Amino acid sequence: MKVRRDGCVICGATWGDYWSEIEGQRMFFCCDVCANEFSNMVTEVKKKTGWESVDEIRMEGNYRGRVCEALSGSQSYTFFISFGDDGSIRNFVERPET
Amino acid sequence: MTEMARCPACERAYGSYEGLSTHFSEEAARSDASHIMWLNRNITKDKGRGKELGSLLFEFFDTGKTGLRVWVKQRFIERFFGLKPHPFVLALQHPAKAVLIGYVLEHQHFLRQWVRSLSWVLAKTDRADVVKEELDNIVTEFYGYGDDRPSHYELLIRMGQSLGLSRETVLGTPPLPATVSAIQTWQAIGRDKHWLETMAAMHSLELIANRDVKQDGAKITYFDPQILQNDEITPETKAFLHEGYEADVEHSEVPLEMVERYAKEFGLVEDVQITFLKSVEAFDSYLMARLERGMQFDGRLVAYAGGRAA
Ligand SMILES: [Zn+2]
Ligand SMILES: [Zn+2]
Repeated sequence: MKVRRDGCVICGATWGDYWSEIEGQRMFFCCDVCANEFSNMVTEVKKKTGWESVDEIRMEGNYRGRVCEALSGSQSYTFFISFGDDGSIRNFVERPET
Repeated sequence: MTEMARCPACERAYGSYEGLSTHFSEEAARSDASHIMWLNRNITKDKGRGKELGSLLFEFFDTGKTGLRVWVKQRFIERFFGLKPHPFVLALQHPAKAVLIGYVLEHQHFLRQWVRSLSWVLAKTDRADVVKEELDNIVTEFYGYGDDRPSHYELLIRMGQSLGLSRETVLGTPPLPATVSAIQTWQAIGRDKHWLETMAAMHSLELIANRDVKQDGAKITYFDPQILQNDEITPETKAFLHEGYEADVEHSEVPLEMVERYAKEFGLVEDVQITFLKSVEAFDSYLMARLERGMQFDGRLVAYAGGRAA
């Protein structure tokens, strides 16, 4: 899975030193909350799409909520996601075609 | 530096901002979520700037140049009207119907907490000017001055009705979890903190509708004032937004002047700052609840969360 390497996979921060294995890959996060968020996001995308694996999740936005595009092979899936304080999913909305 | 510095994440007190900086670095090194999140949202995401953290924190909290009232304003403007305006504010510039529905359904819960929070101040304060200010605010927001001047709460319900919601739906829809959690934060502040901190926590939030924020560096205001002139929104929506637009200049400025004066007298400047920041954090996610409620009615609103207009 392609993830950012310049900081926390979710928020981009370079603080912290929290490593977590997601989809069989060791990833850097600033804290356990960000690691939970990403893990929950990947699980939810796979559940919603039925994909076996995810190649990449492109994100726009910030801690308030993110508009994302998940890619798997030639397929793509866009959605909005926001999280509660513990990294659980607060809201997940499939993005309608505009 | 000989000032007192209180940690905005865990509220521990340190003798200086250098001491607080060391504390933050230690907490970040052990990947503590609450301290890292605070740094990310308020100071920097870049650990490389760790060496200057003491001075960055000092600058962030310094009220020496401007006084507490202006400091509160600046921090609030940065958070909601700055380079990355809040998505709800972006959505409210020229609001789709679903944005206003989200506003109504969540805000009635906020206004009920508003009265509770101001009542904590009334119950705890011994200052007559504070009692008068809070009573006047509660009447304006919740009780009204007769049929000619309905309360802000009543105007909100009428706005909901003009959007097709019944009074029963407005009053009977439970709040989203982000609203519940924000309300719990404000209730805890009222219960546990000095009344002056509660005053600062609540009245600073009225800056959201203050039309003068552009004079203080805001990139945008709460909504484009043009919508009060044209036919984009219902007359009831205009009445609601106009009321806040007019009232909240006075409603935020006067109490914040009192906060500044009493904070000095009581030696509570740092405590007021920390509590204000906690309230801002709660308000930030509460505003997202309004937008997320709107998404239930119109999925296209998700585009605002990416930081751009739909
Ligand atoms: Zn992170
Ligand atoms: Zn701390």
